[in-house]
Amino acid sequence: MTAEGIFQIDTPGVDAARIVREVQESVEKKLQDGVYDDARIARSERLNLNNLRNQEQFLGFYLRCLRDAVFVNISDFEIHERRKGLAPLLVAFKKTIWNVLKFYTYRLWSQQNEVNGLLVTAIETLDEKYTAKLGELESQVTELKAEIERLKT
Amino acid sequence: MTARKQHIAFVAPRFPEGATVGGAETLMKNLARRLAAHGCRVTFLTTCAENHLTWENTLPAGTRSIGPIEVTRFPVDQKNDAGAFSDIQSEIVLNVELSRAEEQVWIENSVNSQALYTHLREKGDAYDCIITGPYLFGIPWFGAQIHPDKTLLLPCLHDEPYARLSIMRELFHAVRGVIYNAEPEARLAERLYGISREKGRVVGMGLDPFETNAAAFRKKFGIERPYVIYSGRREVGKGTPLLTHYLSTFRERTGRDIALLCTGSGTIIAPPEMQAHILDLGFLDEEDKHNAMAGALAFIHPSTFESFGIVLLESFLAGTPALVHAAGEVLKWQCEQANAGFWFRHYPDFEEELLLLLDHPELRQKMGASGRAYVEATYSWKAVEERLLRALEELL
Repeated sequence: MTAEGIFQIDTPGVDAARIVREVQESVEKKLQDGVYDDARIARSERLNLNNLRNQEQFLGFYLRCLRDAVFVNISDFEIHERRKGLAPLLVAFKKTIWNVLKFYTYRLWSQQNEVNGLLVTAIETLDEKYTAKLGELESQVTELKAEIERLKT
Repeated sequence: MTARKQHIAFVAPRFPEGATVGGAETLMKNLARRLAAHGCRVTFLTTCAENHLTWENTLPAGTRSIGPIEVTRFPVDQKNDAGAFSDIQSEIVLNVELSRAEEQVWIENSVNSQALYTHLREKGDAYDCIITGPYLFGIPWFGAQIHPDKTLLLPCLHDEPYARLSIMRELFHAVRGVIYNAEPEARLAERLYGISREKGRVVGMGLDPFETNAAAFRKKFGIERPYVIYSGRREVGKGTPLLTHYLSTFRERTGRDIALLCTGSGTIIAPPEMQAHILDLGFLDEEDKHNAMAGALAFIHPSTFESFGIVLLESFLAGTPALVHAAGEVLKWQCEQANAGFWFRHYPDFEEELLLLLDHPELRQKMGASGRAYVEATYSWKAVEERLLRALEELL
């Protein structure tokens, strides 16, 4: 991945504010295009949520990332052992344990995944509902302001 | 009144004798030294504590000369009600609204020294001016109330829950004047407490220029891979876990093999997959630290609670551009003023801006040069000394 071709970098007399503004414009577009819909970003961003409260668009993006991260992988997986000496024995032991516990963990995690999915859907629905409501109220305010101006004149 | 020949007292919870103990203390010590060099008699009133977590009295009480400064240490009081202090502190951090009485209990159980207050009450007349800080400890809060008419507060104010306590508003209004480190700090005090701009002056701290040798650093520590650098305490409040998580994601998403070199103290919290790519050098001497900065592709400071940013300015002096968090008003302001750094709101900004720096060496070089020129012009000791002396003259 590269930032080449996105920005015009005029190095004589660097204007950091202009470059940041251009980066932000480019990022807004990419957010809309889903370039950053990535569970890994959602995980990193958990530590930054406090600073994102005022970033309106970011909530939608974060929820899309969350949807990717929300389901715990409960499929079978390859069992390894790093300790060389007793590796075959330990692998066999772990496989036995996994087979014994599988029926229970599948049930547990599938239910957890269901809850996670429902929660994300609920938050997304709320976000969409209130975003629409706010948009509606903002347009009403604009109309009312225009009406007041009209009455004044 | 001219500052020369004045007797000036600095009052702070700690005084760094050896290694740096914190930005605010380093700042106060350096300003004290400059005033002493200018011909003032300077006394530094502080405690016997070294550790900012335990506040244990580990140094002997009494007076001794350290360079041109007379340092007098007083023992820290035992907390009367440590339980109440930590309960209220937890509520402050969670932005719970407190009564004036609860705030009073909190500050009374903060770091205090009755012996120091007695000294100020009995011997305070000997001082022409008292400079105290940082704002959120008991010592500056109570110390400032003893001779408020000649006390200047050096708050190192951050936009944090402690700053919104009503007792802090009282403190800022009680003192004669305020010395800020940077313009956004003055704007914050105006916003939070309605402190007029006439009551404060922006001074900051001076930095001595230095030469660097990145190649010597790489050779000495056997570091060949490309790296970005963070210098300072590693803790949640400084944003270091955010930095390690962002870099880990950056490495995975972009495939760029960039290491994170850390200098300073504290445990580095990082995702397991990032551990192998962290070069933790611990506490380095100034020369090694500056060389490490010079060899970095970028200096990254994710803290949102800084009132000055000494290490950021050092990285500019080392010719290295920076990436800072957009919510850290002061660091962002420094980057903007210097044209030597970018600021990120979230991971996507971080990724784009770091890629930009990595892919454009000429941009890095220009920004580094711009940062160095900015620090040399604005934060040379000569410039800072002039601002400090003018502040003392105009505020007192």
